[in-house]
Amino acid sequence: MSNMVIPLLRNEIAKAVRTKLPYFGFLVISILCVLIFIVTGSILDSENLNAWGYTSLSMQLIFTDIGLIFIAVFASMLIAEETAFGTARVVLSCPVLRWEFYAAKVLTGLLYAAAMSVISLIVSTCLGSWNYEFGDVADSMGMIYSNKEVLVNFLMAFFLSWIPLAALVMYGIFISTIVRRSGQAVAVTIGTIYLIDFTKHIVGIDSYIFTKYIGFSWQVFNQVTQGVDYQWRPQVWYMIAMSLVYCFVLFAAGLAIFSRRDING
Amino acid sequence: MSINNDAALRLDDMCKSYGRIRAVDHLSLEVLAGEMAGFLGPNGAGKSTTLYMTSRLVHPTGGEIEIFGRNVWSDFKSAIQYVGTMVETPSFYEYLSARKNLELMGRLRGDVSDSEISENLERIGLSDRQNDKVSTYSHGMKQRLGLGMTLLGRPRLLVLDEPTNGMDPEGTREILSFLQEKVRDEGLTVFISSHLLYEVEEYCDRVFVINHGRLISSGKVQEILAPHENVVLVSFGGKLPDTGALIKEEGIEHIENLPGGVFEITLANRDSAWLNDFLLKRDYKVSSLTPRRKTLKEFFLSITGGKE
Repeated sequence: MSNMVIPLLRNEIAKAVRTKLPYFGFLVISILCVLIFIVTGSILDSENLNAWGYTSLSMQLIFTDIGLIFIAVFASMLIAEETAFGTARVVLSCPVLRWEFYAAKVLTGLLYAAAMSVISLIVSTCLGSWNYEFGDVADSMGMIYSNKEVLVNFLMAFFLSWIPLAALVMYGIFISTIVRRSGQAVAVTIGTIYLIDFTKHIVGIDSYIFTKYIGFSWQVFNQVTQGVDYQWRPQVWYMIAMSLVYCFVLFAAGLAIFSRRDING
Repeated sequence: MSINNDAALRLDDMCKSYGRIRAVDHLSLEVLAGEMAGFLGPNGAGKSTTLYMTSRLVHPTGGEIEIFGRNVWSDFKSAIQYVGTMVETPSFYEYLSARKNLELMGRLRGDVSDSEISENLERIGLSDRQNDKVSTYSHGMKQRLGLGMTLLGRPRLLVLDEPTNGMDPEGTREILSFLQEKVRDEGLTVFISSHLLYEVEEYCDRVFVINHGRLISSGKVQEILAPHENVVLVSFGGKLPDTGALIKEEGIEHIENLPGGVFEITLANRDSAWLNDFLLKRDYKVSSLTPRRKTLKEFFLSITGGKE
């Protein structure tokens, strides 16, 4: 029997394009890009702000707040909604293994996170190029970082930002597995993320929480765009390691729970 | 339990416990290929749990399940490939059309063609509404669509949990007749659970009766679900009987006047042939005389010896 992950993923995409939530997410982040564009122009030193600077600020702000919420909401509904409405039992009555179903959900969540990231990047760069210039980072003394160097750092920031977002997707799907109602799953996911975010400094576990790293790569890139010394290492290794550990643990735990669960009622 | 190679579905010593509650208790049965078998039991008897286990949706506490000789736990995909399952209320992506729902499920059943989906929609009588969102469908239409989903990919075995639940009598008859036809003409095997005695009685070849998770009776429908021998429904063409006088006759235990001019006569150690003869001798014009079917409760009492 052939692997069912791809057919399941095609089904997930077919369903997602017919629901409103993904489009609403895209709309909201696009509006946010515009708002950030307006605000940066009026409160920051627009003389020295270039398109890179605006883009990095826009991406950082989007994914430490609204973008994060939409990805978490989308991911935490993926399995809970199927369980609540009984469609999980219809799908799993077909020749579909539990891990295939779970893997397709994970891929869907990751695709949505990637789509959010790409769309906010497109809107940000379009707005950035409209009012500013993508060029060398320079000050009155001359060029600090060449356009090529900035572009390399930009691409690094963009792709590295997906790693903690992947952990966020895994977290949402994990909650979606253990909470059977989609509304409750969303509330638990968002509630726990904010609860941990508010308390992690007090408890001293800041470095061990993946949400800390969601805006990290854009913070570093922001330093590049401002022409100051930037440093990827060693923090980037912590970010990659910590996010991947979360991804692996949450995926394994969620899959183990889902595989052992009775899908009835 | 001996292995029968003709078995479409074989449950061997199935058990399922929820904490201290035993939902299914050492249940063994075999549904033969090409038959329509009923699975009868009151609400909470363990029917749905058993059906959930056949498609691996519920993990059994013990026992084995084989579909056409393939173990559901060790060889799931091969075993389930030709099985259409509908357990409890059929569920759909309500924001999608019936056609889209079938397309999505068809993809999981090995790329079911567009023409098969169209044929399926025609067969379940939803081709006119195929592009409407399922959320706009009535309960009966959803039941039909659920059945349509189970028929995708040309299954050899259908496992259906109360498929006519909430449907009107006409729709019920239509669906069950359709299934009966598929069994007769195409050799499909149907295992259908119900808490309605007459459904099983009219359409199934064999019946398995379950209560408290245990199989309490099985066999041919005519043998297991035989109607009452001593409770007869009689309607009269001419004069109506004087019930006060009849009750005094030896052999008649009780008479009840039912709506529609029908009398339910309970006989004492006599049968319907005796009653027919008895009434004719007294110049009553009998227009119909039929042994009354047992209610589910009566049926259970008769096979459990009065113990619930």
